[in-house]
Amino acid sequence: MDLRILISLAFAALSAAQLTITVGLPAKPNPFLLPPSTHATLSSLHKRLEAPLTTVNTFNFHNVTADSYLLDVHCATEAFHPLRVDVGEDGEVKAWETYRGNEWANKGEEVPVKSEGGARGISVKGAGSKIFFVERPAFSVFSILKNPMILMGLVTMGIVFGMPYLMDNMDPELRAEFEERQKESPMNAIMGNAQAGQNPLGNFDMAAYLAGSGKKEGVKR
Amino acid sequence: MRRSLQSALLLGLSSLVAAVYKDEVGQIDFHHALVGLPQSETTFFHRPKKDEKASLLYTLSDVGVLGAVNPNSGALVWRQQIFPGISHGGGHLRAPEGENWIIAAHGQQVQSWAALSGRNLWQTEFNGQVKDLEVMELTESARKDVLVLYEEDGVTVLRRLHGVLGTVVWEFREVSKDIPLQVSTSLSKVYVISLHGSPSSYSLKVTSLEPATGGRVDHLTVGTKGDVQGPQDVMFVGANSAAPILAWASNDLTKLNVHILGTKSKQDFALPADTVSVEIHAPHLTQSQPHFLVHTRTTTGNKGEVFHTNIKSGQITKAYELPLLPGLGAFSTSSEGANVYFTRVTNDEVLVVSSDSHSVLARDPLKSDARVEAVHAVSEVIKKAGGKEFAIRSATVTKSQDWVLIRNGQIDWTRSEGLSGAVVAAWAEIPEAENLAKVLAEEAHTNPLDAYIHRLTRHINDLQYLPEYLATIPTRIIESVTGGAVVVSKTTGLHRDSFGFNKIIIVATRRGRFYALDTGNHGEIVWSADVFPQAPGSTLDVKGILVNDSEGTVTVRGANGEYAVIKVADGQVVESQSGNDLAAVSATAVIESEGSKWLLPLGQDRKPTGDALKDLTLDQTIVIREDDDSIKGVKFVNQDGEIVKNEIWQLQLLPGQKIASIAKTPAHDPIASIGRVLGDRSVNYKYLNPNVVVIAAIDTTASALSVYLLDTVTGQLLASQVHEGVDGDKDISCTLSENWYSCAFFGQYTLNDGTDRDIKGYQVVVSDLYESPAANDRGPLGDAETFSPLDPVDTPTGVPLPWVVSQTWILSEPLNNLSVTQTRQGISSRQLLAYLPESHAILGITRHGIDPRRPVGRDPSAAEIEAEGLARYTPAIFIDGRNLLSHERDVVGVRGIVTTPAVVESTSLLVAYGIDIFGTQISPSGQFDILDKGFNKVTLLATVLALTWGVVLLAPMVRRKQINRMWEAFL
Repeated sequence: MDLRILISLAFAALSAAQLTITVGLPAKPNPFLLPPSTHATLSSLHKRLEAPLTTVNTFNFHNVTADSYLLDVHCATEAFHPLRVDVGEDGEVKAWETYRGNEWANKGEEVPVKSEGGARGISVKGAGSKIFFVERPAFSVFSILKNPMILMGLVTMGIVFGMPYLMDNMDPELRAEFEERQKESPMNAIMGNAQAGQNPLGNFDMAAYLAGSGKKEGVKR
Repeated sequence: MRRSLQSALLLGLSSLVAAVYKDEVGQIDFHHALVGLPQSETTFFHRPKKDEKASLLYTLSDVGVLGAVNPNSGALVWRQQIFPGISHGGGHLRAPEGENWIIAAHGQQVQSWAALSGRNLWQTEFNGQVKDLEVMELTESARKDVLVLYEEDGVTVLRRLHGVLGTVVWEFREVSKDIPLQVSTSLSKVYVISLHGSPSSYSLKVTSLEPATGGRVDHLTVGTKGDVQGPQDVMFVGANSAAPILAWASNDLTKLNVHILGTKSKQDFALPADTVSVEIHAPHLTQSQPHFLVHTRTTTGNKGEVFHTNIKSGQITKAYELPLLPGLGAFSTSSEGANVYFTRVTNDEVLVVSSDSHSVLARDPLKSDARVEAVHAVSEVIKKAGGKEFAIRSATVTKSQDWVLIRNGQIDWTRSEGLSGAVVAAWAEIPEAENLAKVLAEEAHTNPLDAYIHRLTRHINDLQYLPEYLATIPTRIIESVTGGAVVVSKTTGLHRDSFGFNKIIIVATRRGRFYALDTGNHGEIVWSADVFPQAPGSTLDVKGILVNDSEGTVTVRGANGEYAVIKVADGQVVESQSGNDLAAVSATAVIESEGSKWLLPLGQDRKPTGDALKDLTLDQTIVIREDDDSIKGVKFVNQDGEIVKNEIWQLQLLPGQKIASIAKTPAHDPIASIGRVLGDRSVNYKYLNPNVVVIAAIDTTASALSVYLLDTVTGQLLASQVHEGVDGDKDISCTLSENWYSCAFFGQYTLNDGTDRDIKGYQVVVSDLYESPAANDRGPLGDAETFSPLDPVDTPTGVPLPWVVSQTWILSEPLNNLSVTQTRQGISSRQLLAYLPESHAILGITRHGIDPRRPVGRDPSAAEIEAEGLARYTPAIFIDGRNLLSHERDVVGVRGIVTTPAVVESTSLLVAYGIDIFGTQISPSGQFDILDKGFNKVTLLATVLALTWGVVLLAPMVRRKQINRMWEAFL
C-alpha cells in the first residue's frame, strides 16, 4: 500500500480521536468576572464531557469523539444560549443554535467554526444575567392614590366640597340663571327635591314592598 | 418556533411564589460551604502572586474538593470539585515555589489551576491511573515542569509535562510487573520509586532518569527483599531537595530505614518503644538545607527527631530530638530561603525550632479554647522584620475534625470541615424540658382535687416569670411595630418557636461523626459526637435513621451492625453497639406498631437480625430489595420461636435491567383534598394509595428506562411506563408524593407519533394518578370507606387501577435527588425539589408548572385557569434564577434533600446535605399565614391614625351642617 495514504489515514484517525473543541465566551458579559465554577458540558447519549473555565476565558474539550452534542455553558451568574455541536467521523465540526423544547433537527443559525490545527473553536452567546431575587413591593402613597376607586372618591369629594364655594362665588345673575336651569333639568326630580323631602321615592317602603305587602295594607295596620 | 417567551411567562408566574427576597438571605436560609477535611499531604500555604507576601491556604480534601482558603479570615476564596462525585480521599496536589499556579492530579487527569482565581490553566488526561505527581523546581529552562507517574496495566509511565502548556515534554515507559509508587527529583536527576517482587515481599527499586530527556541512567534495588509488604509501608519520598530521601519502617515499627536517593546504601535508626505511627517532614525546596524530622507517635505521646543529611558523604546523622510529650501532636515544616523551621503543635503550646539546633525560636502558649488535639498541621513561619521575632500561624486539623488556624496561641478561625461528607440527615424537634401538653395530660388523668392543686401550684410557679414578662412588653411592642416581620423569639440557645421554624437537623458523616444543627440559629452546630469512629479508608454506611421526637432521641443503624441511640438535645450516646462484620445489616425497615416507630434491622439474608421480632407479631408486608435487583414483598412470621420469611410477591426485573431509583411515599404526606376540581366544576378523584412504591429500572445496553408503580401489599403492577433512549450513565432520580410521581433523566429518542422528530436533553416526567378517567366518577371502588387490595376481585373491570396522566418537559440542566416539599396539612401546593449538579443549586419547581393536565396545543379556558391554575403546555422549562432556592449560593456535592413541615401550614423546611449543608424555608403557596417583612406596621398605624383624625375632625363639621339644615327646613 502506498505509504502516503497510510500516513494520511493515520493522521486522520489521530485527528479524529484527539479532536479538541475550544468554546469561547462573548465579550459581554465580561468574561473575566465570571466565577471559577463556570464550566461547559457536551452531552449526548452515554456521553458527558466537562471543561472548566480557563484563564483565557475558554473551555477546552479534549478527545471529542464523533456524535451530535448539546453544548451548555453553566454559570452561576450569567445564562448562555445552548448550541448543537455535530462532530463527524472525519473530525469535521459544525455548530448551530438550538432551541430547547423543540426537536433536535430544528436548528437555528449556523455558528462559524474556527479551525486551528487539531482544535476547533466556536463561541457561545450570552442570554443575560440571572436574577435570583424578587423585589419586595415597597409601600408608596402614590400606589394608593393611583387606585381608580380612590381617584373616583377624590373627584366626588372635590365636587361635594367645591360646588358650594363655586356657587357662592358666582355672579348673582349667572347664579339665578343656573338655578333656573337646574329646576328644569330632569335630574332635578331626584336631586333637587330630595333635600326638600319631596322625593317621589322618599316615602317608598322598600322593606314592605319586598315583603310582598302593599303600601295601603301597611298603613291600615 | 421559539417558545421561550411563553415559558418565560409561565415561569414568571411560578416565580411569584418560589422566589427569595434579598432581605431574607441569611435569615431563612443557611449554608455551610465546606471543602472537606484537609489531607496532610495535599495541604499547604502558597503565595498565589510571586511578588506579594500574602499567601493562601490550599487543600485537596478527602471529599475531592480543591479549595483555597484565606488564612486571615478562614473564608473560602475558590473551590473546585475536581473528582467526579464525592471522593474517598486520594489525589495529589503540589504548588511550585514562586509560581502563580498549582497542580492537581487524580484518576486519569492532571489539571493546572490559577492559584488566585481558581480558573483552569490546562488539563490533560492519559490512560491508566495517576500514582504520583511532583513539580520539577529546577529545569534546563526558566519554567517549572510537572512530573506525573502513571500505572497503565502493569506499565510504569512517567511523563514530564510542560508547566505552562501541559504538553508532554518526554515520556518514560517501563514494561515490568513493578508497582510504581512515587516520583522524586533532585538537582540532577529524576527518580522513579517502585515496588519490585511479589505481594507481601517487595523490595524497593529506584530508577534514575535524565531530567532533560527522560532517558534511563541507572536503577538499583534498595534494601532486602521482604522489607516492604505493600505500597502503604513506604512512608516518605522527598523531592526537590539537594538530597531527597526515601524512608520506610520495619514491619514491627522498631526501625526506620532511610535511603538517600542517588546513593547506594541505606541507614537505619531505632524508633522509640511502643511506636504506633511514624511520619516524616522535610522541606520541598531545592535551596533548603537537607534536614528532615521524624515524628513518632507512641501509645502514650509523641516525639520528634531531627536528622541532617551530609550531601558529600551521603551520611545521615541525628542532630537533636524534641522531647516526648503526651497527646497526638502535629509537626509541620516551613522554609525560608535555606532555613528550615519545624513547628510543633502540642496540647498546650505551639513552638518553632530551627532545623539547625534545638533551641526554641518562638513559643506561643495556647489559650484554653485553643487547646485542640492536633492531628496534622501546616504552618507558616515568618521572621519579622528586624528582630528575632517570629510570626507563626498553623492551620491545624483537630481530632474533632475541625480545621482551625492558630496564631499567637489563639484560634483565628474554625472551619467545621468534619461536617462535609454527610451520608444521612434527619429532622428532629427541639426537645423541651417542660412540655405543657404533657403536663395538661397528666392533670387530666388525676382526680379533680389533685389536678386542681397541681394546677394552682403550677400557676403560682408561673407567677415568678410575670415581672420579667411585663418588663419585656414595651420593647416587644416597639419591636413588633418597627421590626416589620414578626420577631419569632429573642431568646438565645436551643428553643422552639411558635411557627415551628426552629428544628434540629441530625447529620451523620461518613467519618462516623454526628452533628446537630439548629435551624433557628443559622444552622450553627449544637453538638457533634464521634459516635462510630471509622478506621482510615472505611466509611460509615447508614442503613437507617429514625428520630423519636417524644423521647428526644435518634436511632441509627449502620451497615456493619453499628447501632446507637443518641439524645437530640446534647448528643449524649444513650446506647451504642460498635459494628462487626458478623452483624452486618443490609437494610432497615421502619415499623409502626402501637403508635410508635422503630427500626427493624435486616441481615445479609434479608431476615431480621437478633431477636427483634422475638415476642412481636408483625402484620405488615415489608418490601425488600435483593442483591440481584429483584424486589420482594415479605412477611416475617414467628413459627415456634423461629422467624420465617414468607414471600408474598416478587418483582423480577428483566435481564439487563438494574434499579436506578426507588421512590416511596414520604412519612408525612397529608392529603388536603381527595379530588381535583376541574374547570367545568366537575371533580377528578385522586388515586390515593399509601402503599405504593415507584421503581425505575434502567437497561443500559438498550437505553430503556422502565418506571413501575407497585402496590406494596399485593405486588400488583399499577402502572408502568417505558422511556426509550434514556442514558443510564447519567443520574436518574424519582420521587413520589400524594397522587403523583416524577422522574428525571437524560433522554435521546425519536418521537413515536409518526412525525419522526428527535428529542435530546434532560427531561422530567410527571405522572398524575386518578381513580378514573371520567370526571365525577370514583371508579370501581365508589365511595367505599375502605378497601383491601387482597380481597378477591369481583368487579367486571378487574383490579381497580389508577388512571395515569403523564407529561414530559425538557430542562436546561440535569436534576437529581428529586424530593417534594412537605407541609403540615398538605393544603399548600407542593413543589418539586431537585439538586442541579451543574449549577450547584437547589431548584424548586411549583407543581402548577409541571402539571400533566396543562393543555397541549390550545390555550386553557378562563375556567381552567381559575379552577386549576393551568397554563398552556410548553415543552421546555427554562430554569429561572428566581426558582433557585439557594439563589446565589454555590451548594456543592448534594447527595440528599430532606424536608419537614413547620407548624405553620405555609412553610416547609428543607435541608440538602452532601459536601455542603444548605437549609432553607420554602413557602410553596406563599406565606399566607404569616405577616412577611413587606408588611409595614408603621404605615398601617399611620393610616388608622389618619382616618381617626379625619373622623374626629369631620364629625363636628357634619353635625353642624345637619343641625343647620334642620333649622333651614324648619324655617
